[in-house]
Amino acid sequence: MAAGPSAGSGTGRSASTEIRIANRIAEMERVVELVDSFGADHQLSNEVMVALNVSLDEILNNIISYAYEDTSDHDIVVRIELRDGSVEVVVADDGKPFNPLLAADPDLAAKPRQVGGVGLHFVRKLTDQLEYARRDGINELRFRKKLRES
Amino acid sequence: MKLVEGVTDNVTVVEAYGRLDSTTSKELGDRLTKLVQSGRSSILVDLQNIAYISSAGFRVLLIANRATAEKQGKLALCGVIGEVRRLFEIGSFTDEFLICPSQAEGIGKLKP
Repeated sequence: MAAGPSAGSGTGRSASTEIRIANRIAEMERVVELVDSFGADHQLSNEVMVALNVSLDEILNNIISYAYEDTSDHDIVVRIELRDGSVEVVVADDGKPFNPLLAADPDLAAKPRQVGGVGLHFVRKLTDQLEYARRDGINELRFRKKLRES
Repeated sequence: MKLVEGVTDNVTVVEAYGRLDSTTSKELGDRLTKLVQSGRSSILVDLQNIAYISSAGFRVLLIANRATAEKQGKLALCGVIGEVRRLFEIGSFTDEFLICPSQAEGIGKLKP
């Protein structure tokens, strides 16, 4: 669970950690714990921590709620890496293909206000780079959060 | 998630501690539903000690807001500061709620 070895200092430092969870909402608590300990180990700012935690909450909730058409257990892998002055997160699942980058923007002015679609809107606004790939039956969503605004 | 509930000037104040996300929001949602159903018509939710809110958290706040309005009650929020305020702004949720700058002002606004 602990972060990997650190090398160097300042923006040159690097470390990585990984967790595998089952496709159940309650399992997401373990990801929050991992992010919190990774953040504490590497003194990540509150803003970066909020961006990581909210983005992962939205992404994992989406996968667990919508990606599976069967009732069997599935593994979701979350990898967090610190390098080049950014935190990079990869979420991999074997659910049905879904490219969140193609999802429509939510109607933020709708009355009554709907929450659907706001989750991915948060991810887009809180991260600096978002990429999606489908490889060998696996959805791989990768996002990057800069440690400092530049 | 820790919830601390009190009543001042007939206003029910719920202080929430921790985070409002997929795993914790249900607890706040259930508590607010229970309050509305038991006839509390003035409810103030203090978010000062909340680290962040994801869309799952906004969903329970919107539902509680509608439920109180349907019963001719009022719900207000306070402690919407820092990163939490930023999330309200990103999601365009600021206009959906009565947001008060402090608990005292919220109680002043809500008291029957």
